[in-house]
Amino acid sequence: MRPGPFSTFNLLKMLPDRSTLLLADDDPTIADSLAPFLERAGFHVLVVSDGVNALEKAQTHHPELIILDVLMPRMDGRETLRRLRKAKIWTPTILLTQVGEASERALALEEGADDYLNKPFDPHELLARIRAVLRRVRPGERSLSAAWLLTANDLSLDRRARRATLSGETVELTPKALAVLEYLMTHPDEAVTRERLLEAVWGWEYPAGTRTVDTRMAELRRALDDDPTDPRFIETIPGEGYRFIASVHGEG
Amino acid sequence: MLKKSWINLLLIFLPLLAGVIELILITMFAQALPPYMMTADFGVFAFVFGMTIRNLGVVAFMMGLFITGLLLIFYNRTLRRQAETYTLVEGAKLEAEQGRRRFLRRLDHEIKNPLTGLRAALVNMQEVKTEVDRKRAVDNASNAVERLTRLLTDLRKLSDLGERPIELWQVDVPDLLQDVVDAAHVLPAYGGREVNLLIPKVPSPFPMITGDRDLLVLAVYNLVENALKFTCETDSVEIRVNEDGRAILIEVADSGVGIPAEDVSKIFEELYRGSNARSTEGSGLGLALVYRIISLHGGQITVRSSQEEPRGTVFTIRLPVNKKKVTLLPSS
Repeated sequence: MRPGPFSTFNLLKMLPDRSTLLLADDDPTIADSLAPFLERAGFHVLVVSDGVNALEKAQTHHPELIILDVLMPRMDGRETLRRLRKAKIWTPTILLTQVGEASERALALEEGADDYLNKPFDPHELLARIRAVLRRVRPGERSLSAAWLLTANDLSLDRRARRATLSGETVELTPKALAVLEYLMTHPDEAVTRERLLEAVWGWEYPAGTRTVDTRMAELRRALDDDPTDPRFIETIPGEGYRFIASVHGEG
Repeated sequence: MLKKSWINLLLIFLPLLAGVIELILITMFAQALPPYMMTADFGVFAFVFGMTIRNLGVVAFMMGLFITGLLLIFYNRTLRRQAETYTLVEGAKLEAEQGRRRFLRRLDHEIKNPLTGLRAALVNMQEVKTEVDRKRAVDNASNAVERLTRLLTDLRKLSDLGERPIELWQVDVPDLLQDVVDAAHVLPAYGGREVNLLIPKVPSPFPMITGDRDLLVLAVYNLVENALKFTCETDSVEIRVNEDGRAILIEVADSGVGIPAEDVSKIFEELYRGSNARSTEGSGLGLALVYRIISLHGGQITVRSSQEEPRGTVFTIRLPVNKKKVTLLPSS
C-alpha cells in the first residue's frame, strides 16, 4: 500500500505549492505574520478576520484549504466549519484552537476539521500540517475527517459510538488507544510523529510522552493482532513515528 | 438567615402558648357550670372530669415547656453552626482570594522576565550590524519564546486536569516506573548518571492500582526530573516502590542539597519558587501538577528534606490499591 516512487503522492510532493489558502484569524499580529510566511512558502493567502467573512470568501474564492481560528468575533471557527459542511463544502480545514482542551479537540473532529493545531505553534508546524492535508485530500471530495464510519480491510471504527470492530468483533481498547487509532485512520498513509499524536490525542507534549505513545501503540497492536514486523495496519517508521498503511474508506 | 430565625422563634413559643391557652380554657369551662347541674353525682363527675381536663392541661403545659427547652437547645446549636459555616465560607473565600492574588503576582513575575529578554532581543535584532550578533539576538528571542511556551503549556495542563475526567484503568506500577527511568535518560541533567530503581520481588505480581497511567508517569517523571535538577553528578537519585496491603508507596529520593525548611510547606503551590530554585530552569508548576495528579487518584504526597547530613530529599506518594477489579469507565 505504500506509494511507489512515481505515485501521485510523490509527484504531488515535488510540485511547488500554488494553492490558495484562506486564513481566518481576528488577531492582526497573527494574521500579519503568518500570511507573509505562508506566501513565502509559495501559497496564495487570503486573510479574513471573522467567521462570517470566512464563510463568504470560502464560497466565492474556492480556496484549496481553510485555516480557521476557533475564537473569532461574529461567528466562531467551529460554527463557520459547521455551516461550511452543512452547505456540502468539503474544503479541507485546519482549526487553530486556543486551548488544548480534550473536549475542544473531540469537537474539532466531530465537525469535520481535517486537522487542528494548538496555539501557540511553530509556523513550520502549520506549514507541515497544510502540506500533509493538501496531499491527503482529493478536491471536492468529502474527507475521512468528516466521516463517521471508517473501514480498513476487516477493521472498522464507529466514531460516534466510540467502538472499533475487527471482523465483526468488538476490539477492547482504552479511550486513549481508540483516539490514537482514530487519528491514524483519519490520516492514512501519512508519517505521524509521536509528538504529533501526543498533541492531538493527549493535548499536551511532555518529555516522557513519546514513550507513552509507544505503550498505547503496543496495546493497539496487541488488540488488532497486528505484527509490528509484518504490519497489516500500523507501520513503525524508525526514528520518525507511525503510519497507517491500510487504505481507509469513510462513510456517513 | 433572619427570616429563618423568626420561624424558629415562633416554633419555640407556639407550644408554650398552646399550653397556657388550654389551661385557661379548661379552668373557665370547669367553673362556668349552671347551678342546676350541681347535683352530688354530677358534682363528682364534674370534679373528676374537670380534674382530668385540668391535669391534661397541666401535662400539655409541661410538654410545651419541655419542647420549648428542646427547641431552644436546637435553635442555639443551629445558630452556632450557621455562624461557624459563615466563618468557614468567609475564610475559604478570603484564602481563595489571597491565593488568586499570590498566583497572579507570581505569574506576572514569570512572564516579565522572558518578555523583557524578548524585547531586548528584538531591539538588538534591529540595531546590530554583524551576522554573529544578529544570530545571538535571534537565539535569545527563541529562548524567551521557548520559556513562555513552556509556562503556558504547564498552565494548560493544570487547568486541563481540573476539567477533564481522568482515565481509570489497571496500572502496573513497576512497569510504569521503568518507563520513567528510561525516559529520564534523555534529560540533559541526567549526565550519564544511574537512577536506581528498587522494585520488590515479593509479592508477585505486584498489586495494581486504578488510574490514569499517563498522568502517573508525568507525576513521577516530574519528581525524578526535579531530583536530577537539584543534585550534582556525585549525588544519587533513587526510585523505590513498596506496598502495605492498602496502598502503594512510591518514593523518589535524592542526596542533593535539600529544601530549606521554610520552603517545604509551600513547594506544592502553583508558581512557588524556593530560595534555591530561583536560578534553576522550570515553569514553577511541576510540583503543583504532581500534587494535582496524585489528589485526583485519591492519593497523598508528602516530602521530607534535610539540608544537614545525612542530607537529601524524599518525596513519598501514597496511592490506594484497588481491591475489586475495576473495568473500563467511559471517559465522559
